[in-house]
Amino acid sequence: MALKEWKETTRDRLFLLLAFLLPALWLVVFGYGLNLDVEDIPFAVLDRDHSELSREYLHRFMQSRYFSFQGYADDERALDRLLTETKIRAAIIVPERFQEQLAAGEPASVQTLLDGTFPLHTDIAKGYVIAINQAFTEERLIEYLRRTRGLSQEQAGALVRPLTVEVRYLYNEEVRSTWSMVPALVMFTLMLASPLLTALGVVREKETGSIYNIYSSTVSRAEFLTGKLLPYIVISLVNVCVLWLMAVGLFQVPFKGSFLLFFSASVLFVCCTTGIGLLISLLVQTQMAALIITMVVAMIPTILFSGLLVPVASLTRGAKVQAHLYPAMYYTNIVRGSFLKGVGADVLWTDLLALAMFAVALSGVTYRLFTKRPKT
Amino acid sequence: MTARQQAVTWGRRLAAMTWKEVLQLSRDVPLLLFLLYSFSLSVVVSGAGITMQLTNAELLVHDADHSHSSRELIHRFQPPYFKFAGEISDPREGLRQLDQGKVMVLLEIPPRFHEALMSGERTAVQLLVDTTNAPQGLSAAGYSVRIAGLFGTETGLASAGLSGAPVTLPLVSSAHRVWFNPTQDERWFQSIAHVLRMTTIFAVLLPAAALVREKERGTVEQLLVSPLSPFQIMFSKVLAMSGVILIALSLALYGVLHPVFHVPMKGSTALFFLLTTLHVFTTAGFGLVAATIAKNQAQVGMMTLFVVGPMLLLSGITSPYESMPQWVQTIMTFSPLRYYIDITYGVMLKGAGLDLLWKPVVAMLLLGGALFGFGMWRFRRQFQ
Repeated sequence: MALKEWKETTRDRLFLLLAFLLPALWLVVFGYGLNLDVEDIPFAVLDRDHSELSREYLHRFMQSRYFSFQGYADDERALDRLLTETKIRAAIIVPERFQEQLAAGEPASVQTLLDGTFPLHTDIAKGYVIAINQAFTEERLIEYLRRTRGLSQEQAGALVRPLTVEVRYLYNEEVRSTWSMVPALVMFTLMLASPLLTALGVVREKETGSIYNIYSSTVSRAEFLTGKLLPYIVISLVNVCVLWLMAVGLFQVPFKGSFLLFFSASVLFVCCTTGIGLLISLLVQTQMAALIITMVVAMIPTILFSGLLVPVASLTRGAKVQAHLYPAMYYTNIVRGSFLKGVGADVLWTDLLALAMFAVALSGVTYRLFTKRPKT
Repeated sequence: MTARQQAVTWGRRLAAMTWKEVLQLSRDVPLLLFLLYSFSLSVVVSGAGITMQLTNAELLVHDADHSHSSRELIHRFQPPYFKFAGEISDPREGLRQLDQGKVMVLLEIPPRFHEALMSGERTAVQLLVDTTNAPQGLSAAGYSVRIAGLFGTETGLASAGLSGAPVTLPLVSSAHRVWFNPTQDERWFQSIAHVLRMTTIFAVLLPAAALVREKERGTVEQLLVSPLSPFQIMFSKVLAMSGVILIALSLALYGVLHPVFHVPMKGSTALFFLLTTLHVFTTAGFGLVAATIAKNQAQVGMMTLFVVGPMLLLSGITSPYESMPQWVQTIMTFSPLRYYIDITYGVMLKGAGLDLLWKPVVAMLLLGGALFGFGMWRFRRQFQ
């Protein structure tokens, strides 16, 4: 059976090429291209003061790598239009008499308009604005105190900035996005390709009617199902090795854990994903339905609820439940754990166990669902 | 036959083919149920499920000073960002709670904190942040640094007798106004984003799968010898599937987005549906091109995956588009979703009209036209 499925798969050269090329290519594209840090926020400026000081203030935004300067506006209406067109995400309005007020020791107020359509990015942008503003204010204050009170730089600095905060980041000291991204991408590519292949493999037989040959043959249920799964598991495991090599070689992600643990977890995970494909294929009648349902089932929860982009900890209750009902989350924990943290089975055993349970449950259900004598 | 009669028969044939596609789809019960789920329940879960903004980060304090200043500083860590989770006397207890994931931030205030501040010395507090959840950890640290910095400046100046009514200081205050979503309700963003994802996936897959099905079974040859033109065969599929997707989309819009999440529709609804149709057509173009290359469903599945994956992740709903490397932005000019994102958020939240949105609309028209043209050319060449 496996041999037959293998032959049928390998005969399709274009398909085979895609099956191996897709994961590798995706890792390259997403590994280099997917940037989750909010940078280069496009902004425009309305400078009503046109003074040396206002230019200095604005210069700090222009030089920051978090902002990307798009030009000056003549009035607030122009800013309005730019924001609505999504040409800019932020606008800074410096009031008249900005320099005059500050030089006289009076407070001044700068206004920032922010595009709120992407709330998280808005929040982050607001943080950058406040930080740049705070640094500018502190420097103005120090300068002012030196001038009016005759304090030294050191004394004025201690007055303005008496308190520092020493921040220690725990558990993820190197907050580098490629390093945490690439291992999760290994999961992502595996999750998408393998169920699709399996689901179509079975439904194809259903649709063309060749499954009746199986029904009437001496092949047992278990033989049929394993035969269907085996070639795709093999393809996926080859991909696991290729992706691992790329992650370590190309992206220089450190691999601190044990390869044996990683590989056995991958075997379990691939069993789960192909199992999902098989399950779907047993529930539907047409290849079209199999294709679409598998694609959505594989893609959406993996993007949203697996910890790839959004940490599972920041999901609300309903979404968290969905995340736990899905094998991808556990595998992400194992992959990240064995790449970055170097933790072993003693920590990851719950995730391993969950994956194993998924694999067993899925094969149990598919075994029950697949009968050689369908009712119709 | 006059030209008019010809046009009528042409239209009738197209309608008949379209109706056939709708019927065929309506018999596929699992697929229809799934379509329904994708645009209703799934939107609810995803819309409400994801909060990436920092809310109620549990804050634990180890206060070794117990002074007026330390209490004042602790008091400044306020909701909605922080939630006071209690005070501890032993720092090791704090680490234990961080390890267990019970709290997110541990603030340590050293002894002589108040004294140092009052005498104009420099002092430091320590902040331990759990960054398992990197964006929230970073943002918690950011807020803490700002709160403490402001507190420091104020107390420092006060201790030197530099604050209060008679003295003015050259402080620059920064006032913010958030537009288009003033309360920064993240559910607006997430629920719309989910609908965009679903629309895109279905728009690529449904017509592609329908066309490949005919090829795989060989029924496409029968169609070609019938009086139908290749254009009618291809276009009828897109028409039928677009209709189905638009119905599903209105279900999501009026069944979930408005009643559940109170997402506003500031611009014109008609414009939104018109441009959605354009997006569905353009995206379907990708599916059709893939379908002309593929020989069976497995191939078309892999090929569309190839297109849809990057489209969903790099077009700007899952990651900030402006921060992407230049080469990604260049590639993404070929993604209709990239324009559709600007259009949807523009019409729904910003109330933008065609006068502001004409650029993405033109880009999408060009892209859609090119894809359809290429698909047609390949389709004709294969069979004639």
